[in-house]
Amino acid sequence: MKNHALNKWIIQRISAVVLIPLLLFFLYSLVNLVNQDYTGALDAFDNYLSIIVFTLFLIFSGLHLKLGLNEIIEDYIQDESIKATLNKVIILYAAVLPIVGIISLITIIL
Amino acid sequence: MENNSGPLSPHIQIYKWQFSSLLSITHRITGVINVTGFFLIVLWILFLSLGPEYYNFYQKFLRTFVGKFILVGFTWSFVYHMFNGIRHLAWDLGYGYEIKTANLSGIIVLFLSILTTFFIWII
Repeated sequence: MKNHALNKWIIQRISAVVLIPLLLFFLYSLVNLVNQDYTGALDAFDNYLSIIVFTLFLIFSGLHLKLGLNEIIEDYIQDESIKATLNKVIILYAAVLPIVGIISLITIIL
Repeated sequence: MENNSGPLSPHIQIYKWQFSSLLSITHRITGVINVTGFFLIVLWILFLSLGPEYYNFYQKFLRTFVGKFILVGFTWSFVYHMFNGIRHLAWDLGYGYEIKTANLSGIIVLFLSILTTFFIWII
């Protein structure tokens, strides 16, 4: 596992940098979307730029939160078996949410 | 310590709190908050894809006081994590380690996160 530490460190930083513009775009969209009704919100996703940016936001967020939570577990949990279980839960969470989000986005544009 | 399979940090009981360490733990706390915020974001997209009755239910909730508080709170949490993350990236590149600089950048991060949240939702 220690061999992967540097890779994890680098991916954590790359995902952080990538997420800066993605988060800003997301927050900008959110402010516009929050006052929209259903059809207005659907219209906002009627362009490929929004879909692509949201998809990237979902993927990189999943990646970033997985690495971040792994690090927290590493710092505070001593028991190896508990650590392993929690890390599995984290992987599940970090994978399922972006997948659900992306499937939903595809359903919206279809 | 028995069964010492790895170091634990930090030893909170004997730790003297400082501004820098407060910002540091806030980075972690906002990170965890953002994990739950991410769930709400995905849920929102899911509800939008499920149809108007689901989406309107969600929207109605967001317009309540609790909903607005959650929106503003999560926004601050995300924005703080982003700005403080940039501060961390600067450290990774070797900049800003002097105590004075680190304290100043911390104040700037705190100020910018509040200001940005304010601009996003109030204006």
